[in-house]
Amino acid sequence: MTRILFSDKLDDCIARWRSAGFTVIGPVTKDTFSSYAAVEHASDFDLGIVLPDRSLKELFFPQTEPMLRYTIKQQAINTEDFTPPPGKRLIFGVRPCDAAGLSIDDPLFGWDYKDEYWFQRRNDSVIVTIACTKADDFCLCTSLKLAPDSTNGSDILLRPLENNNGWQVEELTERGREAFLPIAELLQEASEPTAPTAVVPEMFNLDTCVEWLQNPENFESKFWKDISMRCIGCGSCTYLCPTCHCFDIQDEGDTYRGIRRKNWDSCSFALFTMHTSGHNPRSTQSARWRQRIMHKFNYFPGKFSVNSCSGCGRCSRQCPVDMGITETLQKISTLHS
Amino acid sequence: MKIVGRHDEAPGVKTLRLEFQDPDDHEQFKKTFRTGMFGLYGVYGEGESTFCVASPETRKEYIECTFRQSGRVTSALADADIGDLITFRGPYGNRFPIENFQGKNLLFVSGGIALPPTRSVIWSCLDQREKFGKVTIVYGARTVADLVYKHELEEWQERADVDLVLTVDPGGESPDWKHKVGFVPTVLEDAAPSPENCIAVICGPPIMIKFTLISLKKLGFAEANVYTTLENRMKCGVGKCGRCNVGSVYVCKEGPVFTAAEVSRMPAADL
Repeated sequence: MTRILFSDKLDDCIARWRSAGFTVIGPVTKDTFSSYAAVEHASDFDLGIVLPDRSLKELFFPQTEPMLRYTIKQQAINTEDFTPPPGKRLIFGVRPCDAAGLSIDDPLFGWDYKDEYWFQRRNDSVIVTIACTKADDFCLCTSLKLAPDSTNGSDILLRPLENNNGWQVEELTERGREAFLPIAELLQEASEPTAPTAVVPEMFNLDTCVEWLQNPENFESKFWKDISMRCIGCGSCTYLCPTCHCFDIQDEGDTYRGIRRKNWDSCSFALFTMHTSGHNPRSTQSARWRQRIMHKFNYFPGKFSVNSCSGCGRCSRQCPVDMGITETLQKISTLHS
Repeated sequence: MKIVGRHDEAPGVKTLRLEFQDPDDHEQFKKTFRTGMFGLYGVYGEGESTFCVASPETRKEYIECTFRQSGRVTSALADADIGDLITFRGPYGNRFPIENFQGKNLLFVSGGIALPPTRSVIWSCLDQREKFGKVTIVYGARTVADLVYKHELEEWQERADVDLVLTVDPGGESPDWKHKVGFVPTVLEDAAPSPENCIAVICGPPIMIKFTLISLKKLGFAEANVYTTLENRMKCGVGKCGRCNVGSVYVCKEGPVFTAAEVSRMPAADL
């Protein structure tokens, strides 16, 4: 016997969560485009998709957000720090790769200077993940040593039932347990079989790839030029990535008032590293693509003991020139042998 | 911070002297600032730019920064007048461990607009001159006009306890130029300072650093005795925004000061 949340109770659950003060968020498709967005009713959700087009990252690290507001009046400068609006959020139907993305970036935002915006939103959010029962050709979580039912970064894991009429509830954290108290009486004890999790074939051997990346001799391998020849440096892969965290800081305003903003940036852009002198440490697209791969699978794990990739596959799925991490690592794994 | 001094160093290059407005901020700065650290200087409405603190750790009543006017922020800083307020975040990063340099000879090698970070170390040592051995400064710029801190160069020239070697790139000399003509690494090799009991501090454009490291190796300097500072583009200064990375190193957190031994472990193509 396990606790089951039946689909027909979901609408009641949302109502209870909302009256308990949660903003309820989940996968929503608008026109042809899907993302995690606020909902009022279960019917607003689109739980049938493999995963939303946009990752969960933007709910914690928005594409653009104010850091401070300033006003200047006759030499007197007033600034007002921005803090994200407080408020509990329950994010329902998160994909395991997106949830894992959050836990991957926690050490980055927490080392040395602690990013208050990130951690306030992390503390205010309950992640209710649904294990995947379907995958597409781009999914690669298993290649990253994760799985379609990974629990990293989740507070609750829901396993879909075989009949597709509900989910088995696994409480993973205290925060998850508390968030499910308001709906406790809507859950039922039952022994319903769960649907098999999606089959995601392993596309490459990660250890082999990492070994190749860590070898300093390969840093200037011709491979990097060949693999990134068709990269147009659009940055889509970094924007859609649940773990890419690079940002820019820009002022918007005039001499009297304005906002200092933190905006997503991308290592794919030539301007990202360009010095004032014109010297650019990563002056070619191949150097920039190498940086992205190295950062994710060599530098980041070296520093924070976790790969900066959760295997969602968005980088390949949405790439306008059909590149991506999968292709690159697949090729690297063959170079080794 | 209030601008209390403003000086034109070279075409397009200015130095600003800044005083703290908040005594607590000033106390904090006095407690934490050591030579080699950097800060983010900003003008609201324009943004922030990263430069080293060009003043020494022995003079903490003010901050000086020297910069080339190039983009939006540096243009706004260049336009700012005495009495105007600008922002400062910092000091960030690591430092030159000058207490370990005590009793040793010091060689400073610098090029163009990279004298400011070197100058912070130079004055930090000259202000306690008795603690160090022989001091040699090799400094070059593209042209005579491009030399920065001209008044201080004169001062160092006149001091008996400092050897100053000045050079400009071929073609950059003026008719009355009495010093060397040639690139910094070549002039350094000609000057041939002894590596014996000597610490070298080098700072310059990446191409100068590259060739100066080779020259120092030829002269017999051990990599562990050569220090440099990497002036990469930065935005956050606190190890998050991702642009200053060279290999696995966050220059803003683990640098900007590195020994040549540490630099040689970084991927050279990304410097």
